Amino acid sequence: MKIKILIFIIIWLVSFFNFSFADNSEKVDQISKNLRCLICQGQSVYDSQSDFALSMKILIQNKINEGKNDEQIYDFLKSKYGEWIVYDPEINKNTVLLWVLPLILFVFGAILIIKKVSIK
Amino acid sequence: MLNQIGNYSLYIALISSILIIIQSPILLNRNNINVSGRIFSLISIQSLMIIISFIALIIAFIVSDFSNETVYNNSHTSKPLFYKISGTWGNHEGSLLLWLLVLSIFLLIFTITSKNLSNKYRILTLFFQQIIILGFLLFILFTSNPFMSLFPIPNEGTGLNPILQDPALAIHPPILYLGYVGASIIFSSSLAALISGSVNKTWAKHIKNWVLVSWIFLSIGILLGSIWAYYELGWGGFWFWDPVENVSLMPWFCLTALFHTVLILEKREMFQSWAVILSITTFSLSMSGTFLVRSGILNSIHTFANDPSRGVFILCFLFILITLSVFIYFFYQNKIKNNFSKTYIVSKEAAVLVNNLFMMFFLSVVLIGTVYPIFLEVLNNDKISIGPPFYHKLIVPFMIPFLIFMAIGPNLNWIKDKINKINLQQLLFFILSIIVSFIFLKRVGISYLLSLPLFIASFFLFFITIKDFSVKKTNLSQKISHFGFSLFILSVLINGVLAKEYSSNMKVGDERKFLNKTIKFESLKINENKNYQSLEANFKITDKNNSINLKPEVRVYDQPQTITSEADIKSTLYSDNFLVFNILKNDGFYNVRYQIKPFMIWIWISIILISFGGILSIVKKNG
Repeated sequence: MKIKILIFIIIWLVSFFNFSFADNSEKVDQISKNLRCLICQGQSVYDSQSDFALSMKILIQNKINEGKNDEQIYDFLKSKYGEWIVYDPEINKNTVLLWVLPLILFVFGAILIIKKVSIK
Repeated sequence: MLNQIGNYSLYIALISSILIIIQSPILLNRNNINVSGRIFSLISIQSLMIIISFIALIIAFIVSDFSNETVYNNSHTSKPLFYKISGTWGNHEGSLLLWLLVLSIFLLIFTITSKNLSNKYRILTLFFQQIIILGFLLFILFTSNPFMSLFPIPNEGTGLNPILQDPALAIHPPILYLGYVGASIIFSSSLAALISGSVNKTWAKHIKNWVLVSWIFLSIGILLGSIWAYYELGWGGFWFWDPVENVSLMPWFCLTALFHTVLILEKREMFQSWAVILSITTFSLSMSGTFLVRSGILNSIHTFANDPSRGVFILCFLFILITLSVFIYFFYQNKIKNNFSKTYIVSKEAAVLVNNLFMMFFLSVVLIGTVYPIFLEVLNNDKISIGPPFYHKLIVPFMIPFLIFMAIGPNLNWIKDKINKINLQQLLFFILSIIVSFIFLKRVGISYLLSLPLFIASFFLFFITIKDFSVKKTNLSQKISHFGFSLFILSVLINGVLAKEYSSNMKVGDERKFLNKTIKFESLKINENKNYQSLEANFKITDKNNSINLKPEVRVYDQPQTITSEADIKSTLYSDNFLVFNILKNDGFYNVRYQIKPFMIWIWISIILISFGGILSIVKKNG
């Protein structure tokens, strides 16, 4: 039983990390899906046809052509437009609670249930 | 005229509300069956008055009575009749009146259908429900009155946002509200049951119907909203993790958890406190949803007219209700009769607890993701955006164990089951799902390390739920809903993995190659319609065997002036062909976006199946 659970957890962790580092679609699309169109209401740069979004896509394409990687492009955009532009907030001291709080709640709930149920 | 009728009837409703609140504590101490007669007539009068005021507003919209400010701001004589009517609730004031209408009608239904329950419980429920109604009446009359008069009377209105002029969106708010407001009855009755010391099997049996009704309406309401987003917003997606969408999803998670808990409560009289907490939470979430949407602090495509003072009122009201319920909970909690029965680790009860754990986790992800940016901005002025990547990263990995538990859980017995019953059959299905997922992903050409576990889990649930139709132990409605859910997950996954998209700037006569298809921009024509002009394009998509024509439109509405893109979608059982185009500034060129969305229709069908399971459960019990 224990081994089964262990295997299960390992598979799960592997898949978790894979999701976080997934990258298999086109780069511009990939990046622009992660950006908020600043002049639209709640649309991503990818989905928007506004002038802002169109010029943003060209900008990203240029940056890629210059040989910049994703990290550098995001950093550039963040320094220019602020953290607000990315849909996928990175973990820093402002957002650590955002990422961790749901996980803490899950663990807390799981402990409550384990205490409540009897094995035998 | 209509304004006066509306106003007066709302004031009469307000007076009856105050009368009921004053009278109910007095009646509570008398054990006379007839006491509820007096309250019943007051409730009937109240509902009648609110219905009259609502009809008055609808008529004002139909006849375009521009002496009414709400009508002036949201309607126009050239609008089709259907959208004049739906315009009634397509704005802030009218939608609140609709909330109120549903509140009072639900209360009336509750009063009629609860005759065989204890007097104390009924009157207490009425009392709490009246407090909510009173709050909404005050809110409507003093901050968002739909019956404000305008003088001099304007000749023409300013029109309804064209993006809202759509059949799915016309009925989306009422359906969603039925779900939200159903939660209010659950809230009131759980507090009443707590005070009267009757959180027991009888209560569970009674409240189960209300939970189901709200849950069904909420599911269908969310479905309509996302169908609308799919074809109207022109992005080809159906869920955007937009704050306003999230707001409707939160009570859904809560209701789903509550429904499963109530089943246990009904059968084994366990988890009473938890059921009460969930009931309170569900309604608080519905209310805060209204607050968040109405106050306009959310940055969303859905934000319509907003005004901070309204937000403050709802916030205070919400605060009072939550404080009240927390207070009542801690004061009366010891009245709950706990039968101290054990929960064994392998049992249906434990499975429901696990279900609740996951529901609460999903809820917390969505809740925290939605409100975190607001708090962060208030606290240290940092603006951050939280979008799809955040939700996917947190929810998707937890989906895998959740789906597997969901496959195993419903097959467990009550009280105590044997471990070795996780049997050969299930193991075989598990191996089958590994093989199927492996072959599927290999053929599609996706690096399988990523998605393999997720596909295995969903195929496993899919096979098990199909197999369960042959088992007699559980009931049919549950099987349908669970099967619907597995179908939903699978369709979403396949849709996500196989969707193809092509985007290009084209002019009339252009031809483009995409995969094995040819996209030809054949023609463009201008149509005149009653309240808009449209630019209708004709595209021909040809592949080896056949060809289809897609005719998307760009519409220019004049009242108010807005441009919308209407996608053209051809659905088949296998996939949707989705095409939308936009006007570009350079002459003659249009931005064209063509998408192939496999299994799209199955996403809608599966949600209908999920809801249908719920409907069946209600019908079966009463039939």
